[in-house]
Amino acid sequence: MTLAAFTRMRFAPQIVGFGSLLLAILAFEILIRVGLLNRFIVPMPSQIAGAFERVIFEEQIAERFYLTMKECVSAAALLAVFGVAIGTLLYKVNILRRATETWVAAAAAAPTVLMYPLFLVIFGRSALTIIMMGFVAGLPAVILKTIEGLSGTKRVLLNVGRSFKLTPWQMFWKIQFPSALPTIFTGFKLGLIFALINVVGVEFLINFGGLGQLINDLAERYDLAGTYAAICFVILVSVVFFIVVERAERWLTRAA
Amino acid sequence: MPAATALRPESARERGDILEVKDVTKRFPTPEGAVTAVDDVSLSVRQGEFLAIIGPSGCGKSTLFNIVGGLLGDYEGEVSVAGERITGPHPSVGMVFQEESTFPWRTVLENVGFPLEIEGKPKAQRHDKARHFIKMVGLDGFENRYPNELSGGMRQRVSLARTLASEPKILLMDEPFAALDEQTRLLLGDKVLQIQQELKQTTLLITHNITEAVQLSDRIMVMTYRPGKIKRVVDIDLPRPRTSEVVGSDAFGHYVAQIWADLREEASRGMSDDESRARATGTRRK
Amino acid sequence: MADAGRLRQAMITSPAISPVTLVRVTIIAAILLGWEALAQSGLLYRDVVPSLRSIGNAIYALLIDPQYYWNLGVTAAEVGAALAIGGISAVVVGLVLGANKFLSRAYEPYLYYLGPTPKIIFFPIMIMWFGVGPPSKVALGVLSCFFPIALSVAAGMRQIDPVLIRVGKSFRANAWQMATKVYLPAMRHPIINGIRLGLGVALIATLLAETKLSNRGIGFLIIQAYSLFDMPRMYAMLIVLFVLAIGANAVVGRLGGLDSIKRF
Repeated sequence: MTLAAFTRMRFAPQIVGFGSLLLAILAFEILIRVGLLNRFIVPMPSQIAGAFERVIFEEQIAERFYLTMKECVSAAALLAVFGVAIGTLLYKVNILRRATETWVAAAAAAPTVLMYPLFLVIFGRSALTIIMMGFVAGLPAVILKTIEGLSGTKRVLLNVGRSFKLTPWQMFWKIQFPSALPTIFTGFKLGLIFALINVVGVEFLINFGGLGQLINDLAERYDLAGTYAAICFVILVSVVFFIVVERAERWLTRAA
Repeated sequence: MPAATALRPESARERGDILEVKDVTKRFPTPEGAVTAVDDVSLSVRQGEFLAIIGPSGCGKSTLFNIVGGLLGDYEGEVSVAGERITGPHPSVGMVFQEESTFPWRTVLENVGFPLEIEGKPKAQRHDKARHFIKMVGLDGFENRYPNELSGGMRQRVSLARTLASEPKILLMDEPFAALDEQTRLLLGDKVLQIQQELKQTTLLITHNITEAVQLSDRIMVMTYRPGKIKRVVDIDLPRPRTSEVVGSDAFGHYVAQIWADLREEASRGMSDDESRARATGTRRK
Repeated sequence: MADAGRLRQAMITSPAISPVTLVRVTIIAAILLGWEALAQSGLLYRDVVPSLRSIGNAIYALLIDPQYYWNLGVTAAEVGAALAIGGISAVVVGLVLGANKFLSRAYEPYLYYLGPTPKIIFFPIMIMWFGVGPPSKVALGVLSCFFPIALSVAAGMRQIDPVLIRVGKSFRANAWQMATKVYLPAMRHPIINGIRLGLGVALIATLLAETKLSNRGIGFLIIQAYSLFDMPRMYAMLIVLFVLAIGANAVVGRLGGLDSIKRF
């Protein structure tokens, strides 16, 4: 098969991508076995794979996963309620929006997670700190997208509502809010992603909680292969989470 | 009505032909099999001539435009400019595209000076020449404006000035006024004609607008619907300049009617093709 | 003569303060008042909400402390290095992926799905590879900012109006001219936005790493204040940090944003 014909094959790119990843892993394995890479700094991929089983069974991965998810769900609930509520409030009270919208946008750019030592003092070394950090991290995105969604209602739809003499309450719930839902969900998705990243990150930093703490534990025990395996596992969870949230968003946008 | 057949270019150079398209066929591979966009098309353009190619949507006009401009390769046949066979974009061929093509991040002056910048001319020389062509299209005073400050018609004029600044032997235009409203189009058409007469510029205009074609050109080639062939060549024997009197004359009307008769046949073939395609797959052709 | 007088009078009586500014001032005043009330009330554990004066003093002490600026320099250098290494490699990778559809389909999904993951958890690995000093922080910063910048640049390449590429080719621009006169100018929006995002995440990654394991830098100072329970100092540092971060973001945005808004 010529190179050109191969590149036109249906799954050729995916094969090349995944294949080169496998090749890289193989290369690492060989380089370490041969001694060119220090095995006390980079464990052999085969060792890491072996550590997976150990980590899963000996480190209560199910409980840890559950803990992290509980924290995320709490943060998500807070985001959904308060984020959308604040966004709606700002949309409705125009002067408030004009005054504070740029502040919210600035907050999105600020390194809010750096406040975790402060939250530690206020909430203690507990799940609450982690949940609040996740909430604060995701809040600006939800607020901004809620405002964007509500103010982006197509004028013609508002005119339809007016032509049927809808009350302001009806206008909001029957026209503006439904039309804003796809954008609001995009904001929620963004907020959720920031929340998860911060939840796991803070768990790692304060050595409390579920998956993030696991990595910290293993690292402090100098369990090299275990640390690598745990990191891979957490990345996997993160990726799956992201894919699920994306699919949900796409489904909702198509339905809307 | 005499329908001149496609010219065989044995004595092309003696006749003063500056562009020769010889037996060009272009096929595109699609999931449903190969589609012939242009089928065995031959034509030649004399120096200083204004030739219009007209046809329904989907007749391969844009394909021909891209082939002559050197942006499309992999075809059968050959295209030569002043005797030289082209293998890519040729310095003697200038292209004006249908879409908005001004660089939004450059001023009018910088846009028009672009081809000279590519050629490596020094700044002062570039700007002088650019100003000359900006004036020619009637945009003097706008040198330091950005395209987003101009109207659509003005932006097309910038594109035209930019192409003219490279002083091509042949000016190729692909439906340059398609996106503009009727009045702007008429005014720009006049402007193009005026410039063409002044520069004695050889021009090849692709269009689907019959009135525009008859008004501007010396010769019109009518193309069939896909696969695109030359259906008929019509010599436009009207006096220049093409004043509103000429445009309103009976002779003008006859030409338009004649071409419309040809085009109508091809256009309705195109439409029924569209409909059967939509019925089959539920999607619209480009 | 009389008209001029009337005009001047109109200018004096027209409102100098817009309602928006008024609302902003009110909100800020309310927050500050509430804060001070909470601080003085003694309701919360001592110093969790320190008085405004103590915070003010701490900010002042910070700004005149040469040690602070030295640590600021350390962090800035780490972030700068991370952005330079990560940014340049990301731009190159982004250009390649944006230009080549096959490579994009092969590798871009990995960048896309690995992007939104918490990079701080890689810190133990970075320490093993690069030691406990600044290089491990820089490495983490590079890892953090690589993804958003590469993805921005790749997307930017694809969003270039194809007619502009044809214009360049029709005038026979060579590869270098195409890159510098067509591709890069057409992409300035996505590139600048990518850099802004990259700056943000590199800053966060570097600072967090400093709080975890370091003996210098702003992150280190923050966690030091925490361990000493010097709350006014912690608040002061957070405030100054936020002001700097938001300022840096605004500056980068202005470099690319404002004059592009004019042209686009």
